[in-house]
Amino acid sequence: MSGTEKGGSGTTKTPADFLKSIRGRPVVVKLNSGVDYRGILACLDGYMNIAMEQTEEYVNGQLKNKYGDAFIRGNNVLYISTSKRTLAEGA
Amino acid sequence: MATEEESAVKEPLDLIRLSLDERIYVKLRSDRELRGKLHAYDQHLNMILGDVEETTKRTVPFLFVRGDGVILVSPPLRTA
Amino acid sequence: MLFFSYFKDLVGREVTVELKNDLAIRGTLHSVDQYLNIKLENTRVVDQDKYPHMLSVRNCFIRGSVVRYVQLPPEGVDIELLHDATRREARGG
Repeated sequence: MSGTEKGGSGTTKTPADFLKSIRGRPVVVKLNSGVDYRGILACLDGYMNIAMEQTEEYVNGQLKNKYGDAFIRGNNVLYISTSKRTLAEGA
Repeated sequence: MATEEESAVKEPLDLIRLSLDERIYVKLRSDRELRGKLHAYDQHLNMILGDVEETTKRTVPFLFVRGDGVILVSPPLRTA
Repeated sequence: MLFFSYFKDLVGREVTVELKNDLAIRGTLHSVDQYLNIKLENTRVVDQDKYPHMLSVRNCFIRGSVVRYVQLPPEGVDIELLHDATRREARGG
């Protein structure tokens, strides 16, 4: 107990708390296939189904597609990561 | 929670619900892509699509799509 | 339950079931269960040249999980009915 962090703005306790805390934030979603989706996380559910906005699809690091809204079926998700920026990460 | 509008997206499947009767894009496993009008779906993402184009391949009047092959669904751009 | 009910109403019609191994089988829908397992009768393989070993198969049971698509007969699709059933399913499930 003595070593546990509390209350800091970025800290979360459980995976579920983390998922709740990142709604509305820019995220990177990596699928089992290796494809990355970058966009704003609109919401997610217990299956890890994901709704995203302003979504960009990256295959082998290259931008392949853009979607205004996107639903990603949860079984394909490898991880969800927060990102500082989603759009136009220039060279 | 209960005060949300019906058009609000509070869970991911709401995005699909709002796409009923709209032409959607579906990305499937084994590099398949469909465009078609969404006539029915369930929580597995099983769907019935109408006027289906399997990208650069063929067209089908009505197609049942089994949900387990679905990777991504995108509704048409909504002018919000 | 939506698609189980839908396919039950489709019994007796001609459908084309496309499997995840790319085999496509056309036949009369004999029956369906809650897993969307399908029994077809009077079957024929759409691309017979590619699958000659299937020539003599006249009836088959298809495990639901190996189905990719089912091509539906246009007269077997009532769009209004599907919309209503989908909205009911979305509320309940």
